Amino acid sequence: MTPGQLLLFAMGGLANAAYLFIVAAGLSLVFGALRVINMAHGSLYMVAAFVTVVIANQVGAGLGFWAGLLVAVAVTGAIGGVVEVLVLRRVYGREHLVQLLGTYAVSLVVAGAVRIVFGANYRTVASPIPGHLNLGGYSYASYSLFMIAAAIVIAAGVWAMLYRTNLGRNIRAAVADPDLLNATGVNVTRLYTTVFVIGAGLAGLGGSIVAPSQAIGSSIDTDVLVLAFAISVIGGLGSIIGSAVGSLIVGMVISFGLVIPATNPFALAFVFIIMTAVLTVRPRGLFGLPEN
Amino acid sequence: MSRLFPRFLGDRVRWGAVLVLFVFVGLIPPLAGLNENLNPDTSSRFQIFLGTSALVLALWAISYNLMLGYTGMVSFAHAAYYGVGAYTVALIFKRYHLPVLVGLGAAPFAAAAVGLVTGLVAQRAVRLYFSLLTLAISQLLFSIVFSWYDFTGGDNGISITLPDQLSDYTTLYYFTAAVVGICLLLMFILVRSPFGAALLSIRENRQRAAAIGINVKVYELAIYTIAALFAGVAGGLFVMYQQQAYPEMLYWTANAQPVVVSLLGGISTFLGPAIGAFIYVVLDNTISKQFPYQFDIILGAIVLAVVLAVPGGVSDAPSVFLRLRERFRRGEEAEKPPAESAGEAIRMFDVRKALASEAIQAEKVHSGKTLLRIEHLSRNFGGLRAVEDVSLEVKEGDRHAIIGPNGAGKSTLFNLITGQLKPSSGKVILDGRDITGRPPHVIAKTGIGRAFQITTIFPKLSVRQNLQYAMLAHAGYTVRPFGIADRIFAGEAQELAEAVGLGMWAGLPAGQLSHGDQRAIEIAISLALGSKLVLLDEPTAGMSAYETDKAMELVRRLATERFLTLLFCEHDMSVVFSTARTVTVMHQGRVLTAGTPEQIRRNPDVQKVYLGELEQEEVGA
Repeated sequence: MTPGQLLLFAMGGLANAAYLFIVAAGLSLVFGALRVINMAHGSLYMVAAFVTVVIANQVGAGLGFWAGLLVAVAVTGAIGGVVEVLVLRRVYGREHLVQLLGTYAVSLVVAGAVRIVFGANYRTVASPIPGHLNLGGYSYASYSLFMIAAAIVIAAGVWAMLYRTNLGRNIRAAVADPDLLNATGVNVTRLYTTVFVIGAGLAGLGGSIVAPSQAIGSSIDTDVLVLAFAISVIGGLGSIIGSAVGSLIVGMVISFGLVIPATNPFALAFVFIIMTAVLTVRPRGLFGLPEN
Repeated sequence: MSRLFPRFLGDRVRWGAVLVLFVFVGLIPPLAGLNENLNPDTSSRFQIFLGTSALVLALWAISYNLMLGYTGMVSFAHAAYYGVGAYTVALIFKRYHLPVLVGLGAAPFAAAAVGLVTGLVAQRAVRLYFSLLTLAISQLLFSIVFSWYDFTGGDNGISITLPDQLSDYTTLYYFTAAVVGICLLLMFILVRSPFGAALLSIRENRQRAAAIGINVKVYELAIYTIAALFAGVAGGLFVMYQQQAYPEMLYWTANAQPVVVSLLGGISTFLGPAIGAFIYVVLDNTISKQFPYQFDIILGAIVLAVVLAVPGGVSDAPSVFLRLRERFRRGEEAEKPPAESAGEAIRMFDVRKALASEAIQAEKVHSGKTLLRIEHLSRNFGGLRAVEDVSLEVKEGDRHAIIGPNGAGKSTLFNLITGQLKPSSGKVILDGRDITGRPPHVIAKTGIGRAFQITTIFPKLSVRQNLQYAMLAHAGYTVRPFGIADRIFAGEAQELAEAVGLGMWAGLPAGQLSHGDQRAIEIAISLALGSKLVLLDEPTAGMSAYETDKAMELVRRLATERFLTLLFCEHDMSVVFSTARTVTVMHQGRVLTAGTPEQIRRNPDVQKVYLGELEQEEVGA
């Protein structure tokens, strides 16, 4: 492998890590505060991807994508709010079996709705940032650089939200002890709704941002959900730093695994081997929170 | 599980439903033939084919429910074992040209072997992380099957053509029904056995299960492997009627099918998932044929409705029916025991008898040898020395209290003794045996019963079962995969329930009793273990003054009658001085002093610790 190729694959891994981080951060944030694994997280991502593609293609290149992104995030946030109020509120504190099945049911409903509304065909959208860079003799999509930048901005935003705002302080307090937080006069019920809406919005943001770089079909929900789980488990559920580290690992493994002929068919298997290995040594992942 | 022992009428309705199900299964082929004669549009072959698929789905779902309903484990890898079974049959038939029945015989063992190995890995984590690990394992197995093109056929899967005598639909149907029937019978025997009782107690409360001597991880691995074994049979049968195996069978989302089917039928009954399987197949072939996209939504709506509203699934129908009927017939029914015990149990026993027998044991104390010896025990949490260099001895037959202000290290000391925590240094010796750092289930078996500070019982099991399962575990019967658990020690458990004043409520789910009565169950469980030493962590926490007096009289009486040694910690000084014969005072993780209650009462250091504590509290407030 030449240095140019090495650089290219590393940058490809970073681009994978970028969108995966946005999705996994939402999953992890929700788990940290609500102690619920959201099986419908991938479905929200898929909804956002389809909404973005449809709007972008309607409105036209350039501006269309950004309009689609805004609408998609708003739509997924709204769906998140409805799901939290109608379903999640009734499963907090119950066995995690009930929580898994409740959000799984939501994912079935959302996935079914997506197939009815958008059909089963793959869709694509033109990149809002066309053009390629020259990377050591190889061409690299400018849009991938945008994805990496977006992930960094979002990581900084999530960090600032958690550590520099009242909302973030309350979320961190809710992670530690929701009952005590409630007793100090914070409306924890509303806080949970807010957190879930933010988590859903992040899933949507991930789906929107990924849309120009992939073909969007009606099975991307489970594909991304499995990877987001792997990231959360490797990094540790509930930890934003863990999500970042996990996304980097998974993004790189997929990028390098796919290009090396000997490992190509097993690229995804490597992700799960790493996931198994990490959990075997550290049962809560690299930066994980204990389960309540 | 109370559901296995319903009220008499419910029993009749339930067995009636089971009979109808069996007759229905037996009559599907003739009914399908009749249907074809009446409606020439329909194909009896297809109907029988659907019946076969429902049978296989029933077996698969019930094997899943061994984990889901009976042990409380959510696995995403179960479909992978189903797939392993299917590929075993297909590969042995196609690549090695052996009869398909050889493959079917090998399938359960292949699936169980893969289940055992991967289960060992998944066992590194518990609950949610366990579920996520099974997800990784499932995807790993899927990618192996998907990518190993030369052996497994990759994404094409493997198609086989069965010999003529097995490709007749009716023959295949009855063959499948027979295999499924045998498997169900084996699984039914298993869940009713003492082994099944151990699984139920793990589902209800892992901590309590370990504290009555059940090795939780080993039982979980065993049922995980057994479930994989039966999933392998189901996968093998699938290949026989579908004549193909394909990689999607192993994909993690394939687990949705047995889960939905189990939920639909009811996860708390044995045959519930079988009913769910037939409903699912009918739904799948009516709705999904016409509205393929809507089917997901309908399925999701059903799962949501079941999860949020009817956790019992279809199998709850008889109970719902009974409840409605009772509403109409109120007044005619015989008087029932109250649904809640309201703390009455504590009032039920004879205090005079307890006090009269007090004298018997007083002599034993002085002649007693050392039962529990703790040597220089320490435990740090980071920089905090929760327990530091604690040494103490508990004599046989003694009632030894450990007192001290909050944060003195009393609960940590208890957790070190019973294995919930491992000591940083020092030794715990019970009756001459070194039990330092052993896991809780081993320590429970060596003879230490424990009542926790936070009530730790099996809430959905009846009071009698709570005690019975503790006795089963203690006697080592829970390794038996045969026999009927609820018939073993039933009398002894009832007797013990009566001894603690809970006889009238022995059939009620323990979680329905009042706080004081649940404490009594907690104490009774530690007694059911036949332990030499019983540890009580604040036995009267949260009780009223009246309940406290009664409960401690109960404890004293039982200790006397059963020659128990007590080690307890308590904040209520009247409890300590009325019950203890020896008192150890702890302060900031260390032993301050030890002696008789009278010596402790007079000790100026002890007074200082408590007064100092008081002053601080006053200043702090």
